Amino acid sequence: MTPVLESLTLIIESVPQILMGFGLTLQLLFLSGILGLILAILLLLMRISGSAYLSAPAMVYIYVFRGTPILVQIFIIYHGLAQFEAIRESIFWAILREPFGCGVLALTLNTGAYVSEILRGGVLGVERGLLEAGAALGLSKRHRFIHITTPIAVRLAIPAYSNDVISLMKSTALVSTITLLDMMGYARIVYAETYAPYEVFTSLMVIYLLMTWIIQRAFGLFERRMSRHIRQ
Amino acid sequence: MKKIFTYTIAALAVAVTGMIQPAAAETLRVGMECTYAPFNYRTAEGTLTGYDVDVAKGIAGIIGADVEFVCQKWDGMIPALLANKFDLIAASMSITEKRLKKIDFSQPYRISVGRLVGKKNGGLGLFDGMGKPVARHFEGVKVGLEKGSTYANWFKAVLPGADIKYYESNEALYLDLQNGRTDVIMTNPMKAFLKFLSKDDGAGFEFVSPQIDENEFFGIGVGIGLRQDNDALKGRINGALKTLTEDGSLETYALKYFPFAIHNEKWVPVEN
Repeated sequence: MTPVLESLTLIIESVPQILMGFGLTLQLLFLSGILGLILAILLLLMRISGSAYLSAPAMVYIYVFRGTPILVQIFIIYHGLAQFEAIRESIFWAILREPFGCGVLALTLNTGAYVSEILRGGVLGVERGLLEAGAALGLSKRHRFIHITTPIAVRLAIPAYSNDVISLMKSTALVSTITLLDMMGYARIVYAETYAPYEVFTSLMVIYLLMTWIIQRAFGLFERRMSRHIRQ
Repeated sequence: MKKIFTYTIAALAVAVTGMIQPAAAETLRVGMECTYAPFNYRTAEGTLTGYDVDVAKGIAGIIGADVEFVCQKWDGMIPALLANKFDLIAASMSITEKRLKKIDFSQPYRISVGRLVGKKNGGLGLFDGMGKPVARHFEGVKVGLEKGSTYANWFKAVLPGADIKYYESNEALYLDLQNGRTDVIMTNPMKAFLKFLSKDDGAGFEFVSPQIDENEFFGIGVGIGLRQDNDALKGRINGALKTLTEDGSLETYALKYFPFAIHNEKWVPVEN
């Protein structure tokens, strides 16, 4: 076989092995994506509550989790917390004992910090005039938030949010460092067996690119739908 | 006439002295890193010591050669042997097919084995009285392995029911074994002893398997490296290793550093 053909064969052969981790990658993405979004909304509400007791802790949290590498966060949660006997004997150990629990937790905490800032950008982007109009119509503060601010803020936040979902998907690859066999985890095993980094990681790259394309496309459709009233 | 006489005497004297002097002893130059404790390293006083050093001296003693050690960085070890900077490598070098393309190896003087470590009195019953693994007791047992280690292949082939976790480093293996994230780990028993079992952290743990020595999966072990087409020397070294195995010397060397032997206790020559 020529070297090129040999490489192509290896690329094609490694795809099904890497895809054994596809399910786990998806689970990590969806679970931490949804939990992270909930966390982000909570953080956002704390940030815009107007109370320093609520907004200050949220700011510190966001600063810490945006200001440190996610790999460090994963290692602290997985390796670091496990060192404390108090944690090993607490109810949290049920989650922290499992690498999957640690992975979801780290990704959730990290993405929550980023997304809350994205949502805040959306909220701040809502035109004041619209809110004043709402007030003039006699809508309560709560109603204005639900019926005016939220839909507009969501639409404004979509492009940045879709970026964050893509970056969350890419971050899932880091959990392969804590024994989880996601696509990256399987790719590294195949690599250790074949010593063919170029072929194995090229296949992996193509799969991630396809996932990125699907996410972009889905958000593109969502954005169109959310903007239907302002288009021609 | 007198001159001729003097020359003759002188020539005779030279010849006789040459005959009386013993034939210059053979000197074997042995390459090693000199920094790989406990196999070849310098003590605080600067003396070269370790298992590899003992083996090299043992061989030299039996084949009647002097030994001279040459310290060489690992990545230049094989090139230096080929460039005739020394005659033998005794540097804990595993016999692999790739290396056999460049150099030759003696019989192994240290085996490539794996051994399982788990909680003391864990009661998992993973191995029967004969030291054979009990496949059904491995079902769902969480086994920690280092990524890229050959132990994974053995597990996949022999004990597919085990739940394998792959770790980035040897240290992480011990941490998660202590945390209870894994039930057992499989690793090199020498590393496990030096880094874990002999320390405070390893107090509650012990070897829970015999030494597992599967050439097919783990390779045949560590041998003395020498240049190719040197069968006479190779034969003498193998003969010496056989003696060192059978008279218990290899075990004595190992027991200086470990509480167990690290060679194949029966002399079974292997193809390489």
